[in-house]
Amino acid sequence: MTKRNDISVPQGYFQDLEKRLGQIPREKARVTTFQKVSPWLAYAASLAILAAVGGFVFRKAAAPLQEDYSWDYVSYLSRSLDPDGIIELEETEEPSEEDILNYLLADNSISVELIAEANYEKNY
Amino acid sequence: MESLEQVFNNIVKDYSERLYWHVRRMVNSHEDADDLLQEIFLKIWTALPTFRGEAQLYTWVWRIATNETLNHLRKERVRAMLRMQSIDAEMERRVEGDPFFNGTEAQRELMKGLAKLPEKQRQVFVMRWWDELSYEQISAITGTSVGALKASYHIAQEKLKLNLSTLDVSK
Repeated sequence: MTKRNDISVPQGYFQDLEKRLGQIPREKARVTTFQKVSPWLAYAASLAILAAVGGFVFRKAAAPLQEDYSWDYVSYLSRSLDPDGIIELEETEEPSEEDILNYLLADNSISVELIAEANYEKNY
Repeated sequence: MESLEQVFNNIVKDYSERLYWHVRRMVNSHEDADDLLQEIFLKIWTALPTFRGEAQLYTWVWRIATNETLNHLRKERVRAMLRMQSIDAEMERRVEGDPFFNGTEAQRELMKGLAKLPEKQRQVFVMRWWDELSYEQISAITGTSVGALKASYHIAQEKLKLNLSTLDVSK
C-alpha cells in the first residue's frame, strides 16, 4: 500500500504556497513599520485634538467679554447665569411711579389703601 | 552571512511541502492545512531571531509545526463541544467529502480510523508512518521518550488494525 497517492493538492499548489509563504517577512515588515510609527501618530493626534478643543473653549470663553459685555459686567453675569433673560438687569431707566403702582396693584394681597398710606408717608 | 529573510526562505523551500503533508494528515482538510501552514510559518518567522541553534533546525521547525497543529485540533475539539457536536463525526465527514481524495476504500478507512485516534497517538502515527521520521527524531521534536512513542504507535496501530485487517501498518 503506497502512502502518498491517496490524497492530492490543486495543480501548482506547492509553487504558489512557497511564493505566499516567502512573502511573510515583507508583510510582517510592513506591519512592524506601522507599529513603530503608530505611537507617534497617536501622540500627534492627541496633541491636535487637545489644541482644537482648547482653542474652541478659549474662544468661547473670551469672545463674549471682548465683544458684548465688557462694558457691563453685571449684565454679562446675568446673561451667563440666565441665558433665557428671565432676570433682566439691563434696565437703565428708573421705573416710573405708574409702573410701581401697576406692579403693586397686580399683587392682590396689597390693597389700594395700603399703597396710598405708604405714598403719603413717603411724601410727608 | 545569510540574512534572516534568506534563512526563512530556505526553511520555506526545505520544509513547506513536508509540513503540508503532515498537517494535512492531521486535520483532514486541504483548506485547513493551508491556513494552518500560514500560521506555522508566521510563527517560525516571528521566532526566528530567537533561534540559537541549540536544537537542530529541523527539530525546531517541526516542533513549532506539531505544537501549532495540536493546538489547532484542541481548539476544534472545544468548538465542537460548545456546538454540542462530535469532533470524530466532523473528521469522518471531512474524509468522506474530501474532493482531493483519490485513494482506495481501504485508504479511506485508514484515514477515518486515524481521524478517530486521540491527537497525540495520531501525531505519532502520522510522523512515523507517513512522514517516515525515526523514533529518535520524533522524540527530539515532541520531547517524549522513545519508549513512550513506541507504545503510542503500537496502541494506534492496534486500534487501526481493528478496522483494517488487510492493512500492514507495522514498523
